[in-house]
Amino acid sequence: MLELRDIRLSYGNSQILKGVNLSVSRGDVVSIIGPSGTGKTTLLKCINYLARPSSGTIALDQIRMDYRRADKPTVQAIRLRTAMVFQQFNVFKNMSVIQNVMDPLIVVQRKSKEEARQIAVQELERVGLSDKLDMYPSQLSGGQLQRTGIARALAVRPDVMLFDEPTSSLDPELVGEVLKVINDVAASGMTSLLVTHEMQFAKKISNRIVFMDQGVVAAEGSPDEVFDTPSNPRLAQFLKSEVAFQ
Amino acid sequence: MNLSEMLPELILALPLTLAIMFVALIAGFFLAVLATTFRIRRVPVISQLADLYVSYARSVPVVLQLFVAFYGLPVLVALFEISDFFSPNVAAMLGLSLYHGGYLSEVMRPAYLAVDRGQHDAADSLGYGFRQKIFRVVGPQAVHIALPGYGNALIYLIHNVALVMYIGAADVMATAHLVMQRHYNQYQFETYLLLAVIYSLLCLVAWLIVRFFERRSPMYASAERQVKMPLMANV
Ligand SMILES: Nc1ncnc2c1ncn2[C@@H]1O[C@H](COP(=O)(O)OP(=O)(O)OP(=O)(O)O)[C@@H](O)[C@H]1O
Ligand SMILES: [Mg+2]
Repeated sequence: MLELRDIRLSYGNSQILKGVNLSVSRGDVVSIIGPSGTGKTTLLKCINYLARPSSGTIALDQIRMDYRRADKPTVQAIRLRTAMVFQQFNVFKNMSVIQNVMDPLIVVQRKSKEEARQIAVQELERVGLSDKLDMYPSQLSGGQLQRTGIARALAVRPDVMLFDEPTSSLDPELVGEVLKVINDVAASGMTSLLVTHEMQFAKKISNRIVFMDQGVVAAEGSPDEVFDTPSNPRLAQFLKSEVAFQ
Repeated sequence: MNLSEMLPELILALPLTLAIMFVALIAGFFLAVLATTFRIRRVPVISQLADLYVSYARSVPVVLQLFVAFYGLPVLVALFEISDFFSPNVAAMLGLSLYHGGYLSEVMRPAYLAVDRGQHDAADSLGYGFRQKIFRVVGPQAVHIALPGYGNALIYLIHNVALVMYIGAADVMATAHLVMQRHYNQYQFETYLLLAVIYSLLCLVAWLIVRFFERRSPMYASAERQVKMPLMANV
Protein backbone atom coordinates (compact mmCIF):
# COMPACT_ATOMS: atom_id res chain seq x y z
CA MET A 1 0.00 0.00 0.00
CA LEU A 2 3.00 2.29 0.57
CA GLU A 3 5.76 2.30 -1.97
CA LEU A 4 8.82 4.52 -2.06
CA ARG A 5 11.06 4.39 -5.12
CA ASP A 6 14.55 5.73 -5.53
CA ILE A 7 14.29 8.47 -2.91
CA ARG A 8 17.22 10.88 -3.06
CA LEU A 9 17.87 13.79 -0.77
CA SER A 10 20.82 16.05 0.00
CA TYR A 11 21.44 18.68 2.63
CA GLY A 12 23.88 21.10 1.09
CA ASN A 13 26.71 19.05 -0.35
CA SER A 14 26.09 15.92 1.64
CA GLN A 15 23.91 13.26 0.11
CA ILE A 16 21.77 11.80 2.87
CA LEU A 17 19.47 9.46 0.96
CA LYS A 18 21.00 7.85 -2.09
CA GLY A 19 18.14 6.05 -3.76
CA VAL A 20 16.05 4.35 -1.11
CA ASN A 21 13.36 1.82 -2.04
CA LEU A 22 10.81 0.64 0.43
CA SER A 23 7.47 -1.07 0.13
CA VAL A 24 4.99 -1.77 2.87
CA SER A 25 1.82 -3.83 2.66
CA ARG A 26 -1.34 -3.19 4.60
CA GLY A 27 -1.01 -4.43 8.17
CA ASP A 28 2.76 -4.66 7.97
CA VAL A 29 4.87 -3.61 10.90
CA VAL A 30 8.23 -2.62 9.47
CA SER A 31 11.11 -1.62 11.70
CA ILE A 32 13.92 0.46 10.28
CA ILE A 33 17.24 0.03 12.04
CA GLY A 34 20.71 1.28 11.30
CA PRO A 35 23.58 3.40 12.59
CA SER A 36 23.07 6.97 13.71
CA GLY A 37 23.06 9.54 10.94
CA THR A 38 22.22 7.21 8.07
CA GLY A 39 19.00 9.02 7.27
CA LYS A 40 16.32 6.92 8.97
CA THR A 41 14.49 9.93 10.37
CA THR A 42 14.94 11.76 7.10
CA LEU A 43 13.41 8.86 5.17
CA LEU A 44 10.38 8.79 7.43
CA LYS A 45 9.98 12.54 7.00
CA CYS A 46 10.10 12.18 3.23
CA ILE A 47 6.87 10.22 3.39
CA ASN A 48 4.88 13.16 4.76
CA TYR A 49 7.08 15.71 3.03
CA LEU A 50 8.56 17.24 6.17
CA ALA A 51 11.79 16.52 4.36
CA ARG A 52 11.84 17.26 0.66
CA PRO A 53 13.58 14.74 -1.54
CA SER A 54 15.12 16.00 -4.75
CA SER A 55 13.82 12.98 -6.64
CA GLY A 56 11.95 9.73 -6.22
CA THR A 57 8.32 8.69 -6.15
CA ILE A 58 5.80 7.72 -3.53
CA ALA A 59 2.61 5.74 -3.88
CA LEU A 60 0.18 5.45 -1.02
CA ASP A 61 -2.69 3.36 -2.35
CA GLN A 62 -4.18 5.50 -5.12
CA ILE A 63 -2.15 8.60 -4.26
CA ARG A 64 0.94 8.94 -6.39
CA MET A 65 3.53 11.66 -6.40
CA ASP A 66 6.85 12.34 -8.07
CA TYR A 67 8.90 14.38 -5.59
CA ARG A 68 10.33 16.48 -8.40
CA ARG A 69 6.81 17.73 -9.02
CA ALA A 70 5.39 17.70 -5.52
CA ASP A 71 2.15 19.63 -5.27
CA LYS A 72 0.21 20.85 -2.28
CA PRO A 73 -3.01 18.85 -2.70
CA THR A 74 -1.13 15.56 -3.05
CA VAL A 75 1.15 16.33 -0.11
CA GLN A 76 -1.94 17.19 1.92
CA ALA A 77 -3.66 13.96 0.85
CA ILE A 78 -0.66 11.98 2.04
CA ARG A 79 -0.48 13.90 5.30
CA LEU A 80 -4.14 13.21 5.98
CA ARG A 81 -3.57 9.49 5.70
CA THR A 82 -0.36 9.21 7.69
CA ALA A 83 0.46 10.22 11.24
CA MET A 84 3.83 10.68 12.81
CA VAL A 85 5.14 10.10 16.31
CA PHE A 86 8.30 12.08 16.96
CA GLN A 87 11.48 11.39 18.84
CA GLN A 88 11.07 14.71 20.68
CA PHE A 89 7.30 14.11 21.17
CA ASN A 90 6.39 17.49 19.67
CA VAL A 91 3.22 17.68 21.67
CA PHE A 92 1.69 21.15 21.25
CA LYS A 93 2.96 23.02 24.28
CA ASN A 94 0.12 25.51 24.37
CA MET A 95 -2.58 22.87 24.64
CA SER A 96 -3.69 20.42 27.30
CA VAL A 97 -3.47 16.70 26.67
CA ILE A 98 -7.02 16.42 25.39
CA GLN A 99 -6.75 19.59 23.31
CA ASN A 100 -3.69 18.14 21.64
CA VAL A 101 -5.72 15.20 20.47
CA MET A 102 -8.88 17.16 19.65
CA ASP A 103 -7.33 20.06 17.80
CA PRO A 104 -6.31 18.27 14.58
CA LEU A 105 -9.75 16.67 14.42
CA ILE A 106 -11.46 20.03 14.72
CA VAL A 107 -9.06 22.15 12.68
CA VAL A 108 -8.04 19.75 9.93
CA GLN A 109 -10.85 17.22 9.78
CA ARG A 110 -13.58 19.73 10.63
CA LYS A 111 -15.24 17.43 13.10
CA SER A 112 -17.58 18.85 15.71
CA LYS A 113 -16.21 19.51 19.18
CA GLU A 114 -18.35 16.77 20.66
CA GLU A 115 -17.23 14.17 18.18
CA ALA A 116 -13.59 15.24 18.55
CA ARG A 117 -13.84 15.01 22.31
CA GLN A 118 -15.38 11.58 22.12
CA ILE A 119 -12.57 10.29 19.89
CA ALA A 120 -9.92 11.97 22.02
CA VAL A 121 -11.23 10.47 25.24
CA GLN A 122 -11.28 7.06 23.61
CA GLU A 123 -7.73 7.30 22.24
CA LEU A 124 -6.34 8.72 25.45
CA GLU A 125 -7.88 5.87 27.34
CA ARG A 126 -6.19 3.48 24.95
CA VAL A 127 -2.78 4.95 25.85
CA GLY A 128 -3.61 5.07 29.56
CA LEU A 129 -3.91 8.83 30.02
CA SER A 130 -7.54 9.06 31.09
CA ASP A 131 -6.57 10.75 34.31
CA LYS A 132 -4.39 13.39 32.64
CA LEU A 133 -6.82 14.92 30.14
CA ASP A 134 -6.54 18.49 31.39
CA MET A 135 -2.84 18.52 32.20
CA TYR A 136 -0.45 20.67 30.21
CA PRO A 137 2.75 19.36 28.60
CA SER A 138 4.99 21.14 31.11
CA GLN A 139 3.43 19.01 33.84
CA LEU A 140 3.97 15.63 32.20
CA SER A 141 6.75 13.07 32.10
CA GLY A 142 8.40 12.11 28.83
CA GLY A 143 6.48 8.86 28.75
CA GLN A 144 3.19 10.65 29.20
CA LEU A 145 4.12 13.19 26.53
CA GLN A 146 4.94 10.46 24.06
CA ARG A 147 1.72 8.63 24.82
CA THR A 148 -0.12 11.91 24.17
CA GLY A 149 1.71 12.11 20.86
CA ILE A 150 0.66 8.58 20.01
CA ALA A 151 -2.97 9.26 20.95
CA ARG A 152 -2.94 12.40 18.80
CA ALA A 153 -1.62 10.39 15.87
CA LEU A 154 -4.08 7.51 16.34
CA ALA A 155 -7.03 9.87 16.66
CA VAL A 156 -6.75 11.03 13.06
CA ARG A 157 -7.31 7.38 12.05
CA PRO A 158 -4.33 7.18 9.72
CA ASP A 159 -3.66 4.38 7.28
CA VAL A 160 0.00 4.37 8.23
CA MET A 161 1.67 5.24 11.52
CA LEU A 162 5.21 6.60 11.35
CA PHE A 163 7.14 6.17 14.58
CA ASP A 164 10.49 7.96 14.68
CA GLU A 165 12.55 6.59 17.56
CA PRO A 166 9.62 7.05 19.92
CA THR A 167 11.52 5.95 23.01
CA SER A 168 15.05 7.18 22.48
CA SER A 169 14.66 10.45 24.35
CA LEU A 170 13.01 8.80 27.32
CA ASP A 171 14.49 7.93 30.68
CA PRO A 172 15.01 4.16 30.79
CA GLU A 173 12.28 3.57 33.34
CA LEU A 174 9.72 5.25 31.06
CA VAL A 175 10.54 3.26 27.92
CA GLY A 176 8.40 0.29 28.90
CA GLU A 177 5.08 2.14 29.12
CA VAL A 178 5.54 3.60 25.63
CA LEU A 179 6.69 0.33 24.06
CA LYS A 180 3.63 -1.34 25.50
CA VAL A 181 1.38 1.18 23.76
CA ILE A 182 3.22 0.78 20.45
CA ASN A 183 2.99 -2.97 20.81
CA ASP A 184 -0.79 -2.68 21.21
CA VAL A 185 -1.02 -0.41 18.17
CA ALA A 186 0.99 -2.84 16.06
CA ALA A 187 -1.03 -5.80 17.31
CA SER A 188 -4.25 -4.02 16.35
CA GLY A 189 -3.28 -4.37 12.70
CA MET A 190 -2.27 -0.77 12.14
CA THR A 191 0.25 -0.49 9.32
CA SER A 192 3.34 0.90 11.02
CA LEU A 193 6.81 2.05 10.19
CA LEU A 194 9.07 2.18 13.19
CA VAL A 195 12.55 3.65 13.35
CA THR A 196 14.13 2.28 16.49
CA HIS A 197 17.24 1.28 18.34
CA GLU A 198 15.26 -1.13 20.53
CA MET A 199 16.38 -4.32 18.81
CA GLN A 200 14.56 -6.80 21.05
CA PHE A 201 11.34 -4.87 20.66
CA ALA A 202 11.73 -4.55 16.89
CA LYS A 203 12.29 -8.27 16.63
CA LYS A 204 9.20 -8.98 18.67
CA ILE A 205 6.65 -6.74 16.98
CA SER A 206 7.81 -6.50 13.36
CA ASN A 207 7.11 -8.78 10.46
CA ARG A 208 9.87 -7.13 8.50
CA ILE A 209 13.15 -5.41 9.34
CA VAL A 210 14.89 -2.89 7.12
CA PHE A 211 18.55 -2.14 7.74
CA MET A 212 19.61 1.26 6.48
CA ASP A 213 23.24 2.17 6.11
CA GLN A 214 24.85 5.21 4.53
CA GLY A 215 21.74 6.43 2.79
CA VAL A 216 20.51 3.17 1.27
CA VAL A 217 18.62 0.07 2.35
CA ALA A 218 21.52 -2.31 2.85
CA ALA A 219 19.55 -5.36 3.94
CA GLU A 220 16.00 -6.38 4.68
CA GLY A 221 14.05 -9.45 5.62
CA SER A 222 12.07 -11.14 8.33
CA PRO A 223 13.21 -10.53 11.91
CA ASP A 224 14.73 -14.00 12.08
CA GLU A 225 16.70 -13.52 8.87
CA VAL A 226 18.00 -10.13 9.84
CA PHE A 227 18.76 -10.72 13.50
CA ASP A 228 19.75 -14.37 13.58
CA THR A 229 21.44 -14.90 10.24
CA PRO A 230 22.61 -11.49 9.04
CA SER A 231 24.07 -11.89 5.57
CA ASN A 232 25.38 -8.36 5.22
CA PRO A 233 28.71 -7.84 7.06
CA ARG A 234 27.89 -4.26 8.04
CA LEU A 235 24.58 -5.42 9.44
CA ALA A 236 26.33 -8.11 11.47
CA GLN A 237 28.77 -5.55 12.79
CA PHE A 238 25.94 -3.10 13.61
CA LEU A 239 23.99 -5.76 15.48
CA LYS A 240 27.05 -6.70 17.46
CA SER A 241 27.64 -3.10 18.52
CA GLU A 242 23.98 -2.65 19.45
CA VAL A 243 24.02 -5.78 21.57
CA ALA A 244 27.23 -4.66 23.24
CA PHE A 245 25.58 -1.30 23.92
CA GLN A 246 22.54 -2.90 25.52
CA MET B 1 2.25 76.71 44.21
CA ASN B 2 1.19 73.39 45.56
CA LEU B 3 0.10 70.06 44.29
CA SER B 4 -3.57 70.89 44.15
CA GLU B 5 -2.73 73.67 41.75
CA MET B 6 -0.39 71.65 39.58
CA LEU B 7 -2.15 68.33 39.42
CA PRO B 8 -5.34 69.41 37.59
CA GLU B 9 -3.30 71.00 34.84
CA LEU B 10 -1.17 67.96 34.41
CA ILE B 11 -4.20 65.73 34.46
CA LEU B 12 -5.71 67.82 31.68
CA ALA B 13 -2.65 67.05 29.59
CA LEU B 14 -2.90 63.37 30.35
CA PRO B 15 -5.54 62.45 27.73
CA LEU B 16 -3.34 63.73 24.90
CA THR B 17 -0.35 61.92 26.34
CA LEU B 18 -2.34 58.73 26.58
CA ALA B 19 -3.76 59.23 23.09
CA ILE B 20 -0.27 59.49 21.63
CA MET B 21 0.69 56.41 23.59
CA PHE B 22 -2.28 54.34 22.51
CA VAL B 23 -2.01 55.28 18.86
CA ALA B 24 1.67 54.30 18.91
CA LEU B 25 0.81 51.14 20.83
CA ILE B 26 -1.79 49.97 18.34
CA ALA B 27 -0.31 51.26 15.08
CA GLY B 28 3.10 50.06 16.23
CA PHE B 29 1.72 46.62 16.92
CA PHE B 30 0.32 46.25 13.42
CA LEU B 31 3.47 47.67 11.87
CA ALA B 32 5.46 45.14 13.85
CA VAL B 33 3.27 42.24 12.74
CA LEU B 34 3.63 43.36 9.14
CA ALA B 35 7.38 43.90 9.34
CA THR B 36 7.89 40.60 11.16
CA THR B 37 5.82 38.69 8.62
CA PHE B 38 7.99 39.93 5.80
CA ARG B 39 11.18 39.38 7.71
CA ILE B 40 10.23 35.75 8.28
CA ARG B 41 8.63 34.92 4.95
CA ARG B 42 11.19 36.45 2.63
CA VAL B 43 9.71 38.34 -0.29
CA PRO B 44 12.21 40.12 -2.55
CA VAL B 45 12.42 43.91 -2.04
CA ILE B 46 9.61 44.07 0.54
CA SER B 47 11.63 42.01 3.01
CA GLN B 48 14.71 44.18 2.51
CA LEU B 49 12.60 47.29 3.10
CA ALA B 50 11.25 45.70 6.27
CA ASP B 51 14.82 45.01 7.44
CA LEU B 52 15.80 48.59 6.68
CA TYR B 53 12.80 49.96 8.53
CA VAL B 54 13.49 47.88 11.63
CA SER B 55 17.13 48.86 11.76
CA TYR B 56 16.15 52.54 11.36
CA ALA B 57 13.65 52.30 14.20
CA ARG B 58 16.10 50.52 16.46
CA SER B 59 19.29 52.41 15.77
CA VAL B 60 18.24 56.06 15.37
CA PRO B 61 17.72 57.86 18.69
CA VAL B 62 14.02 58.32 19.36
CA VAL B 63 14.33 62.12 19.63
CA LEU B 64 15.80 62.15 16.17
CA GLN B 65 13.05 59.90 14.86
CA LEU B 66 10.54 62.38 16.22
CA PHE B 67 12.26 65.24 14.44
CA VAL B 68 12.32 63.23 11.24
CA ALA B 69 8.60 62.62 11.57
CA PHE B 70 7.97 66.26 12.45
CA TYR B 71 9.84 67.67 9.47
CA GLY B 72 9.16 64.75 7.18
CA LEU B 73 5.40 64.65 7.60
CA PRO B 74 4.75 68.05 5.99
CA VAL B 75 6.75 66.94 2.99
CA LEU B 76 4.61 63.84 2.76
CA VAL B 77 1.42 65.81 3.26
CA ALA B 78 2.43 68.20 0.48
CA LEU B 79 3.23 65.27 -1.75
CA PHE B 80 -0.23 63.80 -1.43
CA GLU B 81 -1.90 67.23 -1.28
CA ILE B 82 -3.85 66.54 1.85
CA SER B 83 -3.71 69.85 3.59
CA ASP B 84 -4.11 70.93 7.16
CA PHE B 85 -4.16 67.70 8.98
CA PHE B 86 -0.68 68.07 10.23
CA SER B 87 0.18 68.96 13.79
CA PRO B 88 2.91 68.18 16.30
CA ASN B 89 0.56 65.68 17.88
CA VAL B 90 0.11 63.78 14.65
CA ALA B 91 3.85 63.87 14.07
CA ALA B 92 4.37 62.53 17.58
CA MET B 93 1.95 59.68 16.95
CA LEU B 94 3.54 58.85 13.64
CA GLY B 95 7.10 59.05 14.95
CA LEU B 96 6.40 56.91 17.99
CA SER B 97 4.35 54.38 16.02
CA LEU B 98 7.25 53.87 13.66
CA TYR B 99 9.70 53.60 16.52
CA HIS B 100 7.55 51.20 18.53
CA GLY B 101 6.72 49.03 15.50
CA GLY B 102 10.38 48.56 14.62
CA TYR B 103 11.38 47.86 18.19
CA LEU B 104 8.53 45.39 18.64
CA SER B 105 9.36 43.55 15.44
CA GLU B 106 12.67 42.66 17.01
CA VAL B 107 10.74 41.19 19.93
CA MET B 108 8.34 39.24 17.72
CA ARG B 109 10.84 37.79 15.29
CA PRO B 110 13.08 36.08 17.86
CA ALA B 111 9.98 34.84 19.67
CA TYR B 112 8.71 33.26 16.47
CA LEU B 113 12.10 31.71 15.80
CA ALA B 114 12.30 30.42 19.37
CA VAL B 115 9.30 28.15 18.84
CA ASP B 116 10.66 24.65 18.49
CA ARG B 117 11.02 23.36 14.92
CA GLY B 118 9.26 20.20 16.10
CA GLN B 119 6.05 22.13 16.73
CA HIS B 120 6.00 23.11 13.06
CA ASP B 121 6.74 19.52 12.06
CA ALA B 122 3.94 18.13 14.17
CA ALA B 123 1.38 20.62 12.83
CA ASP B 124 2.54 20.10 9.24
CA SER B 125 2.46 16.33 9.57
CA LEU B 126 -1.14 16.49 10.77
CA GLY B 127 -2.18 18.56 7.77
CA TYR B 128 -2.49 22.00 9.34
CA GLY B 129 -2.38 24.79 6.77
CA PHE B 130 0.08 27.63 7.29
CA ARG B 131 -2.52 29.94 8.82
CA GLN B 132 -3.96 27.21 11.01
CA LYS B 133 -0.49 26.38 12.24
CA ILE B 134 0.28 30.01 13.04
CA PHE B 135 -3.02 30.75 14.76
CA ARG B 136 -3.41 27.49 16.67
CA VAL B 137 0.10 26.39 17.52
CA VAL B 138 3.07 28.59 16.71
CA GLY B 139 1.46 31.97 17.34
CA PRO B 140 0.22 31.28 20.87
CA GLN B 141 3.62 29.88 21.82
CA ALA B 142 5.46 32.80 20.27
CA VAL B 143 3.18 35.23 22.11
CA HIS B 144 4.03 33.53 25.35
CA ILE B 145 7.74 33.79 24.62
CA ALA B 146 7.39 37.40 23.47
CA LEU B 147 5.44 38.68 26.46
CA PRO B 148 8.36 39.71 28.69
CA GLY B 149 9.99 41.47 25.74
CA TYR B 150 6.69 43.07 24.90
CA GLY B 151 6.49 44.38 28.46
CA ASN B 152 9.85 46.05 27.98
CA ALA B 153 8.82 47.50 24.64
CA LEU B 154 5.75 49.02 26.31
CA ILE B 155 7.80 50.56 29.07
CA TYR B 156 10.24 52.08 26.58
CA LEU B 157 7.34 53.45 24.61
CA ILE B 158 5.90 55.08 27.70
CA HIS B 159 9.27 56.63 28.52
CA ASN B 160 9.71 57.90 25.01
CA VAL B 161 6.36 59.63 25.02
CA ALA B 162 8.10 62.14 27.30
CA LEU B 163 10.20 63.18 24.30
CA VAL B 164 7.32 64.46 22.21
CA MET B 165 7.62 67.87 23.87
CA TYR B 166 10.71 68.45 21.75
CA ILE B 167 8.52 68.69 18.67
CA GLY B 168 5.94 70.78 20.48
CA ALA B 169 3.27 68.27 21.40
CA ALA B 170 1.57 69.32 24.63
CA ASP B 171 1.90 66.21 26.73
CA VAL B 172 2.27 66.11 30.52
CA MET B 173 5.97 66.84 30.28
CA ALA B 174 5.52 69.94 28.12
CA THR B 175 2.67 71.11 30.33
CA ALA B 176 4.80 70.72 33.42
CA HIS B 177 7.45 72.92 31.84
CA LEU B 178 4.86 75.56 31.02
CA VAL B 179 3.59 75.54 34.57
CA MET B 180 7.09 75.81 35.95
CA GLN B 181 7.91 78.71 33.67
CA ARG B 182 4.80 80.49 34.84
CA HIS B 183 6.20 80.25 38.31
CA TYR B 184 9.60 81.62 37.34
CA ASN B 185 11.16 78.19 37.28
CA GLN B 186 10.61 77.41 40.90
CA TYR B 187 9.37 74.14 42.31
CA GLN B 188 11.30 72.05 39.84
CA PHE B 189 11.98 69.26 42.25
CA GLU B 190 8.33 68.83 43.23
CA THR B 191 7.21 69.00 39.64
CA TYR B 192 9.66 66.47 38.33
CA LEU B 193 8.93 64.22 41.24
CA LEU B 194 5.26 64.36 40.39
CA LEU B 195 6.04 63.54 36.75
CA ALA B 196 8.14 60.63 37.90
CA VAL B 197 5.19 59.31 39.89
CA ILE B 198 2.86 59.66 36.91
CA TYR B 199 5.26 57.79 34.63
CA SER B 200 5.86 55.11 37.22
CA LEU B 201 2.15 54.54 37.55
CA LEU B 202 1.72 54.24 33.79
CA CYS B 203 4.53 51.70 33.64
CA LEU B 204 3.16 49.82 36.60
CA VAL B 205 -0.21 49.47 34.91
CA ALA B 206 1.43 48.27 31.69
CA TRP B 207 3.52 45.78 33.60
CA LEU B 208 0.53 44.44 35.52
CA ILE B 209 -1.42 43.92 32.30
CA VAL B 210 1.46 42.09 30.64
CA ARG B 211 2.01 39.97 33.71
CA PHE B 212 -1.65 39.08 33.83
CA PHE B 213 -1.42 37.66 30.32
CA GLU B 214 1.83 35.90 31.11
CA ARG B 215 0.25 34.12 34.06
CA ARG B 216 -2.86 33.27 32.14
CA SER B 217 -1.01 31.33 29.49
CA PRO B 218 -1.26 27.56 29.86
CA MET B 219 2.44 27.42 29.11
CA TYR B 220 3.13 29.30 32.32
CA ALA B 221 2.44 26.09 34.17
CA SER B 222 5.84 25.09 35.42
CA ALA B 223 6.94 22.16 37.50
CA GLU B 224 6.43 23.99 40.80
CA ARG B 225 2.86 24.84 39.93
CA GLN B 226 1.85 21.29 39.17
CA VAL B 227 -0.51 21.03 42.08
CA LYS B 228 -2.38 24.26 41.38
CA MET B 229 -2.66 23.91 37.64
CA PRO B 230 -5.55 21.47 37.27
CA LEU B 231 -7.77 24.10 38.90
CA MET B 232 -6.80 26.60 36.23
CA ALA B 233 -6.98 24.24 33.31
CA ASN B 234 -10.45 25.35 32.28
CA VAL B 235 -9.80 29.07 32.02
N1 LIG C 1 17.71 19.87 8.43
C1 LIG C 1 18.93 19.34 8.22
N2 LIG C 1 19.91 20.09 7.66
C2 LIG C 1 21.13 19.57 7.43
N3 LIG C 1 21.47 18.31 7.73
C3 LIG C 1 20.56 17.51 8.27
C4 LIG C 1 19.24 17.99 8.56
N4 LIG C 1 18.54 16.98 9.11
C5 LIG C 1 19.38 15.93 9.17
N5 LIG C 1 20.59 16.24 8.68
C6 LIG C 1 21.72 15.32 8.54
O1 LIG C 1 21.28 14.22 7.81
C7 LIG C 1 21.88 13.03 8.30
C8 LIG C 1 20.82 12.01 8.56
O2 LIG C 1 20.02 12.43 9.61
P1 LIG C 1 18.86 11.55 10.22
O3 LIG C 1 18.29 12.30 11.36
O4 LIG C 1 17.92 11.17 9.14
O5 LIG C 1 19.63 10.26 10.72
P2 LIG C 1 19.09 9.06 11.58
O6 LIG C 1 19.39 7.84 10.81
O7 LIG C 1 17.68 9.29 11.97
O8 LIG C 1 20.02 9.10 12.84
P3 LIG C 1 19.68 8.84 14.38
O9 LIG C 1 19.67 7.37 14.58
O10 LIG C 1 20.80 9.49 15.11
O11 LIG C 1 18.36 9.49 14.66
C9 LIG C 1 22.66 13.41 9.54
O12 LIG C 1 24.02 13.44 9.19
C10 LIG C 1 22.18 14.79 9.88
O13 LIG C 1 23.23 15.54 10.40
MG1 LIG D 1 16.68 9.78 13.77
